[in-house]
Amino acid sequence: MNAITLIARDELRLMRRNRVTVIAFALLTLLTLAAALISWSHQTGIAETRARFQAQAAQEFTAQPDRHPHRMVHFGNFIFRPLPPLAAFDPGVDAFTGNSMFLEGHRQNSANFGDVRQSSLLVRFGQLTPAFVLQVIAPLLLVFLGYGAVARERERGTLRQMLVQGVSARALLLGKLLALAIVAALVGLPALAAFLLIAGQPGALAGPMAVMVLGYGAYLALWSIIVILVSALVRRGRDALLALLALWTVLVILLPRVAPDIAAQTHMLPTRLETDIAIQQDLHRLGDAHNPEDPFFTAFRQKVLRHYGVDRIEDLPVNYNGLLAVEGEKLTSRLFDDYARRSFTVQQAQSRLTDGFGIISPAIALRRLSMAAAGTDLEGHRRFLAQAEAYRYAMVQQLNQLQADTVRYADDKAKDAGADQRKRISADHWQTIPQFRFKPATTGDLVKASLPGLGLLLAWLAFALLALLPVARILQKARA
Amino acid sequence: MTLLTHELRLLLRSRMALLALLLVALLAAASVAAGMAEVARQRDVIARIQPKQAQDMAAIAQWAAETKDPGTAAYYSFHATWDTPSPLAFAALGLRDVAPYILRVRALGLEAQLYDGEAFNPELALPGRFDFSFVLVYLTPLFVIALFHDLVSGEREAGRLRMLDALAGSGRSLWRRRVLLRGGLLFLALAAPLTIGAILSAVPFPTLLSVQGLVALYLAFWIGVTLLVGRMRWSSVANAATLAGIWLVLTLILPTIAHVAINRLIPVGEGVELTLAQREAVNRAWDIPRADTMREFYAGHPEWKDSPPLTDAFHYKWYFAFHQVGDESVAPKVAAYRNGIEARDAAARGIGWLLPSVGVQAMLTRLANTDMAAQLAYQDRIRAFHEKIAEFLLPLSVHRYAVRKGRL
Repeated sequence: MNAITLIARDELRLMRRNRVTVIAFALLTLLTLAAALISWSHQTGIAETRARFQAQAAQEFTAQPDRHPHRMVHFGNFIFRPLPPLAAFDPGVDAFTGNSMFLEGHRQNSANFGDVRQSSLLVRFGQLTPAFVLQVIAPLLLVFLGYGAVARERERGTLRQMLVQGVSARALLLGKLLALAIVAALVGLPALAAFLLIAGQPGALAGPMAVMVLGYGAYLALWSIIVILVSALVRRGRDALLALLALWTVLVILLPRVAPDIAAQTHMLPTRLETDIAIQQDLHRLGDAHNPEDPFFTAFRQKVLRHYGVDRIEDLPVNYNGLLAVEGEKLTSRLFDDYARRSFTVQQAQSRLTDGFGIISPAIALRRLSMAAAGTDLEGHRRFLAQAEAYRYAMVQQLNQLQADTVRYADDKAKDAGADQRKRISADHWQTIPQFRFKPATTGDLVKASLPGLGLLLAWLAFALLALLPVARILQKARA
Repeated sequence: MTLLTHELRLLLRSRMALLALLLVALLAAASVAAGMAEVARQRDVIARIQPKQAQDMAAIAQWAAETKDPGTAAYYSFHATWDTPSPLAFAALGLRDVAPYILRVRALGLEAQLYDGEAFNPELALPGRFDFSFVLVYLTPLFVIALFHDLVSGEREAGRLRMLDALAGSGRSLWRRRVLLRGGLLFLALAAPLTIGAILSAVPFPTLLSVQGLVALYLAFWIGVTLLVGRMRWSSVANAATLAGIWLVLTLILPTIAHVAINRLIPVGEGVELTLAQREAVNRAWDIPRADTMREFYAGHPEWKDSPPLTDAFHYKWYFAFHQVGDESVAPKVAAYRNGIEARDAAARGIGWLLPSVGVQAMLTRLANTDMAAQLAYQDRIRAFHEKIAEFLLPLSVHRYAVRKGRL
């Protein structure tokens, strides 16, 4: 048996004998397991609720009576964002974004009823999930278990003894590191249980899960190295503990809060009110459907008349109002897409700026990796919003086309007592409109999105490993 | 006094103590500055939207005047509401980053509009904001631990404890002096930036005093905990580790467990349910005799009973009436939803009596008017405003008064 494993074994025996260490370790294991179970049951509960609401909304839509198609455009449809399976491990921004959306004609509504607006202030204290435990609390346990690893030997004078007896400083550091890394692996073990629960879910993807295991593994290994490095560099155990606590506070608690604040002040988002008004102004500039002399809509009318080879809209084989509705929706929808893209560009810039802080805080890098792989980051929300808008557009246009094809123009214009009945079309049509199906991200999308975070973490890890060399040299000199 | 200045010199000679105090002051100042910048930004946004909103209204008024039907104006005009940040909002931003502080409503069914959100980047909201309440609740205890964990044990480990105890006139008063000095300096480091920010933001004096009291109490709690742990006569390292563990449990672990428990035990009866029901109620109006809707409407609003009966033609009176009836039909669901949210909030406040971290956060956001109660109060104001819009527009559309430009 070589020196490294001997030292590691010795260190582990010492940890096992320390009652506080064992209790802290047991508590963290319990906490991770509790977090995994709570988070898992929470997510399955959410998934069930949303699926139930989605079914209810679909049922209500198809159960509508005979109507004018335009009434259905305004009746609209509700859709709900389903959760990816890995949300049980890292729910990401789910609680902070609305998860239901009302889709109707002419308007783009916000996603509503996010958890954050219907929970107590406690939601801002963080959520008990495996991701939270591993990102925030596990490093602290490693600090507690490892701060004295080298500093203790130095304080007791055993460090010099070992070095004199021919144990190299490098072997000493690696041995201590091995011991702490084994503890770190054990700390991560209960989280793997969460993964096993999730892997059984339909739609669980192996690729992102592998990236996550790799990322969290690198993160815990990194903290083990940081702890050993500080323990070797600082003269006294107490100073090592205080320095590590300070480091943890800055990297895990402080920077993740400061970074978003800087991002929010650097890249400002326009409010919904401003966007709504801007869209209205743009629309007005394009054309005014209410104005019979409007150049845009006059040109449109001419084009339609020419297409069908008639002189009056009354002679068209289709309902002109329906065509007008299709054209109008096309215009507004293009603007919606345009403004949504602008808003997301700003938000992406904000997120990128925050991610940049991953260079100085591995916790930020890991959070990015974790949310991206789980599909619960901003991009995941955008995926939902983009599909929602595409679905809204298709649904509204299908209804508008129904108006053009099945409601007679003369009836549409009529105002007599029986007109209301003549304008209505059969409720069977509502069945032909497909219901919303969320297309989840592919393995490739998720893995690709999580690579920058993983790259940053691995760079951190490589850097920390390299730092062991000069520190070993310094330690070796301490013999003299 | 000379004793105190002597102690001060002694304390400041310790590099770590000086560093810790400077860091607290720096973090407190930075958080106050960040909070003030955010509040200034929100005020700017509120000011910025005013001319745009006025312009939008003018455009609609001009265009609607041509249609000669005031109902058109009522239908198309969105009215802006906003929730100005309170003077103290900079210290605890609370919910202001995730709940809208600007919302436009129109005379149609309010329940379909009231829960709309603002555009914000959820990734920025996820970790929480860097404001004074964060520095106080999360970071301050760590600095208390750093400054106090070795108060006695440090002297013992340095071999001076017996000598200090034996010195004439020292004993208890020495420790009292040291605790007061460290605590006082810590309080100053926190309160000075806060007070400057509060004066610049024109926070009323009693409010400022309450916040300072809260800071002092929270400090006192953590100093008390450190001193209690210190009495166990452990080594400095054991003290520090134990205290950090206590901090972890009180500020990170227990609040998250309490959050799960509260949301489990108090369901809020999904808000979605009420909007789904409201939509059914509103849209049903197109499929039932219009007289039915009007009868229901007149039952709730008898003052309109004698308005002229509907003809076969479309009339905005009926349109607004069914929106109103739709809102009223879900009133019990609305009340249940809101009661659920209030019950959750109350439960969290109750936990605040057990967990100082939660208690301080709750009281700060209450004083700053940025908590859930403030959000609900804003919703109430929107509700009242919406009613006023309806009261103003309804008579216009019922009697088809001509819309004059600028009356909206």
